[in-house]
Amino acid sequence: MNLQAIQILFLKDLFLSRWPLFGYLVGGLLSAMATCLPVESAGDIGFMLMVTMTIAAGIHLIGVLLLAESTDMTRTFVMSLPVSLLDYSIAKISVVLVAFLIPWFGMLASLTVLSYVMPEAKPGVLALLTLLFLFMLAGFCLQLVTAVVTESVGWTIVVVVLGNILFTLFAKTLGEHPVVSKLAENEVLSWPPIVLQIMAIEAIVILVALGLAFLLQIRRRDLV
Amino acid sequence: MSTALNQPHLMTAAASLRGIGKSYKHFQLTNVDLEIEPGTVNGLIGPNGAGKSTIMRIMMGLVTPDQGTVSVLGQAISSREASAKQDIGYFSDDMRLYKSESLTFHMQFVRSLFPNWDEDYAQQLLDRFGLIADQKVKGLSHGQRVKSLLLLILARRPKLLILDEPTNGLDPLAKQEVLSELMQIVSDESRTILYSSHNTQDVEQISDTITFIDRGRVVASNNRDEFLDGWRRFKLRAPQDWQAPAIDGLRPESTFGNLRVMTLDRYQTEVEDRLQSSGATLEASEAMTLEEIFVAAVLRGREEKE
Repeated sequence: MNLQAIQILFLKDLFLSRWPLFGYLVGGLLSAMATCLPVESAGDIGFMLMVTMTIAAGIHLIGVLLLAESTDMTRTFVMSLPVSLLDYSIAKISVVLVAFLIPWFGMLASLTVLSYVMPEAKPGVLALLTLLFLFMLAGFCLQLVTAVVTESVGWTIVVVVLGNILFTLFAKTLGEHPVVSKLAENEVLSWPPIVLQIMAIEAIVILVALGLAFLLQIRRRDLV
Repeated sequence: MSTALNQPHLMTAAASLRGIGKSYKHFQLTNVDLEIEPGTVNGLIGPNGAGKSTIMRIMMGLVTPDQGTVSVLGQAISSREASAKQDIGYFSDDMRLYKSESLTFHMQFVRSLFPNWDEDYAQQLLDRFGLIADQKVKGLSHGQRVKSLLLLILARRPKLLILDEPTNGLDPLAKQEVLSELMQIVSDESRTILYSSHNTQDVEQISDTITFIDRGRVVASNNRDEFLDGWRRFKLRAPQDWQAPAIDGLRPESTFGNLRVMTLDRYQTEVEDRLQSSGATLEASEAMTLEEIFVAAVLRGREEKE
């Protein structure tokens, strides 16, 4: 493993995705702000915008950083350099993940701050939001593994669509759960066992998907 | 090369492929043996889809062979190894740069991975190729794109250049500029070049040794001059019942009435006498161009396979 090569590849990809990354970060922060607008249903509108932004960021970044290397035939150029498949895989999966986490974390951090700063906000909602954001992260990791395995925009979009359907069902289920649905009304942030259990499942899905994406990438026999 | 492996060689090979096989759904590379000697220019000629690119990709570790072993610059090659690539410059016709970025970005990126990067030479190549460093890749013509890739390869001073159809699609002027640069590199005897093309003239211009490949198999491999000296075409007038003498490598090419055209791949001066004494009248004994030799060798290879 060549750490210097990994670092160079990582920074190169981060640089290549700088404009979409900046756009999604700004868009995400504005969406978070929208939850505080003095209009009816501002919270719902802001949250819908954030979900939309997260979905768009996920598919766009996977497209730009991962799938485009194959379709634009730039991977042949990169792999002609003194870079092993291991170096390439570590750099690629890390940068796609980090690029997604920047707007994702930006939105979650903004909501955290807003929930404590805004007079009418209730910090208890953060536990619910964390569950929803982790679900979106898990969905993104599943899109990532699909993109690595299939190198297909079509199949990745299929996973995005399925992820959205599941997200809607997940949000509805949480809204109907007797414990979880009450969290949004809590003045104090708390983490009931059911929330921690769901978070653990989400963490497992994220780790398994990332591990699978990495293992399948380094087992690839042909790169062109 | 591209000496056949059973021939003795004293130097350590710049690249060695032994028993390489690779199967795809509609194509198979079969038992490819190649030995590339250091300091030589090696041409790999074959029709489109013959397997030239696959061989080169295997040498770069971009494709893993199903059978056989590959070593380049004394190191085993696979997608898991990167150190040998420090000294290899690889160009492929289907290789692309990042279209939204400039040549300067690519030069900085490549330079960061190559301690041997020669900035002065890179600037010389920029001038010689008429490239603008700040121009975005998406605005480059095909010729400029090829030259940009060659600049990125040559400025790191690789010991081995693997060039897959570098002159493909270039206009005559751009092609000459690229070939001239390669000729200059050839003058440095420590550097080895493997050059593929379906254009025999380009390969003939710069190669010391030549390998013909067709349908995933090596058909013939030899020194360029030995190829040119060893192949002959004979035009003979002979009666219908004439039997060609048993001469190794003599094959009929075509027949028009009593005119027979035959090719030979192991020419010696006494062959003409043997043909004359066999009852035929030798009308012409012609040297063949590399292209003619290539076509004849490929057709022979296909006949033998069938």
